[in-house]
Amino acid sequence: MTATQRPVRDPAAGTPAAAAPSATPAPARARRPRGRPAMYTGYAQNMALLNTGGKKAGVLVLFVVALLLPFLLQDDLLRLLATGAVLAIGAIGLNLVTGYAGQVSLGHAVFLGIGAYTASVVSGDPEDESVYGFGITFLPVWLLAAGLVAALVGAIVSPLATRLRGLYLAIVTLGLVFIGEHVFREWDALTGGVGVGREGPTPELFGFDVGTRSEFFSADQQLYLLMLVMLVLFALVGRNIARSAVGRNFAAVRDRDIAAEVTGVDVRKAKRLAFVISGFYGGCAGALLYSINGYIDPGSFNVLLSVQFIAMILIGGAATISGSIMGAFFVALLPRLTRELPEYLPFLSSSPTETPNVFQFETFLYGILIVLFLILEPRGLFGLWVRARNYWKAWPFSY
Amino acid sequence: MTALLGTGTAPAPTVTTTIATRVRDRAATTPRGVAMRSKQLGLWRETSWAEYWEEVQLVGHALLALGITRGDRVAIASENRREWLSADLGIVAVGGITVGLYPTNPAAEVLHLLADSGSVLLVAEDQEQLDKALEVSDRTPALRHLVYVDPRGIRGRYDDPRLLHWDDFLELGRGHRAAHPGAIDEAMAGTRPDDVMTLVYTSGTTGPPKGAMLSVANAEATIATFTGVGGLQDPPAGPSDMVLSYLPLCHVAERIFTIWNNAATGIQVNFAENIDTVPANLREIQPTFFFAVPRIWEKLLATVRVRQASASPVKRAVGNLGLKLAEGVGKSLVANGGRHTASSRVRHAVAWVLVVRSLRERLGLRRVRWAGCGAAPVAVDVLQFFAGLGIPVHELYGMTENTASATANRPGRIRLGTVGEPHDSVEVRIDEQTGEVLTRGAATFLGYWNRPDATAETVDADGWLHTGDVGVLEDGYLRITDRMKDILITAGGKNIAPSEIENALKVSPLIKEAVVIGDRRAYLTALIGVEPDTMSDWAQRHNIAYSTYRDLTEKKEVLELVQGIVTDVNSRLATVEQIKTFRLLPKLLDHEDGELTATQKVRRSALAERFSDLVEGMYSGAAR
Repeated sequence: MTATQRPVRDPAAGTPAAAAPSATPAPARARRPRGRPAMYTGYAQNMALLNTGGKKAGVLVLFVVALLLPFLLQDDLLRLLATGAVLAIGAIGLNLVTGYAGQVSLGHAVFLGIGAYTASVVSGDPEDESVYGFGITFLPVWLLAAGLVAALVGAIVSPLATRLRGLYLAIVTLGLVFIGEHVFREWDALTGGVGVGREGPTPELFGFDVGTRSEFFSADQQLYLLMLVMLVLFALVGRNIARSAVGRNFAAVRDRDIAAEVTGVDVRKAKRLAFVISGFYGGCAGALLYSINGYIDPGSFNVLLSVQFIAMILIGGAATISGSIMGAFFVALLPRLTRELPEYLPFLSSSPTETPNVFQFETFLYGILIVLFLILEPRGLFGLWVRARNYWKAWPFSY
Repeated sequence: MTALLGTGTAPAPTVTTTIATRVRDRAATTPRGVAMRSKQLGLWRETSWAEYWEEVQLVGHALLALGITRGDRVAIASENRREWLSADLGIVAVGGITVGLYPTNPAAEVLHLLADSGSVLLVAEDQEQLDKALEVSDRTPALRHLVYVDPRGIRGRYDDPRLLHWDDFLELGRGHRAAHPGAIDEAMAGTRPDDVMTLVYTSGTTGPPKGAMLSVANAEATIATFTGVGGLQDPPAGPSDMVLSYLPLCHVAERIFTIWNNAATGIQVNFAENIDTVPANLREIQPTFFFAVPRIWEKLLATVRVRQASASPVKRAVGNLGLKLAEGVGKSLVANGGRHTASSRVRHAVAWVLVVRSLRERLGLRRVRWAGCGAAPVAVDVLQFFAGLGIPVHELYGMTENTASATANRPGRIRLGTVGEPHDSVEVRIDEQTGEVLTRGAATFLGYWNRPDATAETVDADGWLHTGDVGVLEDGYLRITDRMKDILITAGGKNIAPSEIENALKVSPLIKEAVVIGDRRAYLTALIGVEPDTMSDWAQRHNIAYSTYRDLTEKKEVLELVQGIVTDVNSRLATVEQIKTFRLLPKLLDHEDGELTATQKVRRSALAERFSDLVEGMYSGAAR
């Protein structure tokens, strides 16, 4: 990004009064006058994470509600929400590469698998002869290891992306899923083998196992709070990537790679970085996901998982962090809703052996939702929110 | 003009307060406070009082370095920007006389202003302004220096020895300051209240513009009137208030509201990018003080009407309900002199929730706590609409010759349709014979530059200024009928004030210009110019295809529409005042073509001449 990092000329510096070497006091710190949301006196205000008062208040309220949830909801629902939070981390990763940088990746399941197994190996029991294990159960260590290994794989894969575009890239990443699935099935020393599997990583922090119930909280309450904190961390980093020069380069590559190159964006580097970051997020999400589930089946990392992630970002909203989170929670909570359906739709069965059953209906629903969102609101749930917001913003006019 | 330099007065013990000393004092007390903002690359860049004063000093020193001294005229041709203010104050600091040029002045008028004032230096904003001056500079022998602010298209291409870039100009000042550190303070100490501070050229609706000499004392009198306790703006503006600067600074009104008010009260000045971005800039700045000419108020009203009409059904229904309520509130406020009744307060609260709050935010008037209107007559309906939105617009009356200080509607004592009560420091009376408004006070100007004959016609021996406006005093409130020269006397001998009829027509968002004709004629007619934005919007919604403006004005449907407006206005007028027929102007009126003055006022004589065929057509038709 050498080309984009050249110092931006400060327009005020060109004027003599500002450039005067004398110690003429400049205005006090460029602060925004109150109550004027459209007035910017510095670029920092425009680029700020929460650039309006409304956003600040909204995020605060949302965060407080999320912190209160463990005391209001049942444990099984909390576990579902914890899963949703982890899926959201994975979705943010996919959104960075597919939504922001425009590189369609159907191989996200592989990154999740690599992350899950790396973490399991790092935290696994060294006494167990059947699978690898190093016995380091400290969460930051196995999480970082999972992310880094997956990022490395992302870096190895990225040359494909720098040479291919669009449909070709999608097909190639689809190929990755099949390779990954094959390796996971066959490498017994790593995964325990089909039908056997292995334990997921142990979420332990400073000797405290988050996954087992403690004096004050149940295991699910603890896991939920842990994953909530993780999601906030990863979402903040994701948002910061998106609003910084890196994210702007991604968007430039997505909108027109040739134009981006002409304006000085290193396209190869941007694509490579997108895959590395996406891999890191995917790896971390995989590790965390199986620290909730506790058991990894090598058959889990298939095309369906990749498609579910695509569904999350398309339903949530491509190229938005908050959309990724909305989409992930939507997809995570969808099964819970469809499970209730047989009560209202008697022709649907809740047993997987009968047809039509809710599981088939669920898969069907992903497809339908993707199609409907792409046709009706390509910007996803986030787009619906933007529409609602703009409706009130334009009040009392239409534009 | 030695007589102007304070002959016979003993040196004052203290330094005379001028706008320059006011800025110096602000820079000393609040050096880091925001004096002004200008938008560059999307950001409102701030200038502190210290930076402002620094630049003023450099300008002053640079002028001294170029040998410009007390009484010399220095012209400024620029849009509103920081350099305009710095140059003006620098000139005032060294006792020079500022001559403001409209950026829209065509070369011929630039020649008149430069030659008439005998300006020795011109500050030109950019290549456009510089080219006009260079074009006529062989006929302005006094003009020794041309300083340009924006070097694009100039640097490296022009090699006139008189040219100087703004940066080099300031560098000159820096050098002079090093050699003569106290020169500015000395110069300011030499200023007397009677010194001419600026020449403000009249817009010249008839004849060439005349330069009105405004003194330091005139400016201070006006500042006292406008910003004093219990004065025009109550409570007065302060350093946390904001104003948008967008009207031409060479006009006395904008000079007061931007430069003088800023120096006197510390109000933060924000420069609009250009006249087209004013609505967007208003939304960003959300000024607390807003002065506009009637044209701007009319345009804001038209925006609301047009946007409202094209809103989605739900929004339109709620909006209409809210505006209906607001209209009722406006009527009630007008009836009660601007005070709320219990019922109007409730209705205002409901309308506020429904539409008023968001509408004001969209217009950029959400935080306005004082709004003013002046410089031309305005229709009551327009001001009543804004009163209904909770923005009482205070109509002011004044002219260049009395430094814009004559009468004003005071906060809480507004009477729509009048221009308010005389300022405390100003005497106003009506001439018994002619009905002309006369004013007298400290703000009355010194005279016209180089035109003692014209001065004598305007100011009589007792110091009464003849404004040229006809008006009546109604228990302390002044109501202006029209310009004396514009009063029509029909062939039937009836006196008619055309501006009332014209303003009634201009209330419609579809009509931009209206000129009533009928002097020594059997009946009244009108030349009407349609507003291109709103009319094209209307045409689009009614599926009327057209190519050019002229084509639009020739459409049968458009003519019928305008006829409807005219008929509606006629129904509210006495028979002799009714407009029998009208013609649409085939072109937009333009300053360049001499049809409008720099302040967008119609030059009636030029119009009657240029469109004489249209005018005669309206009268010959009846004769046949």
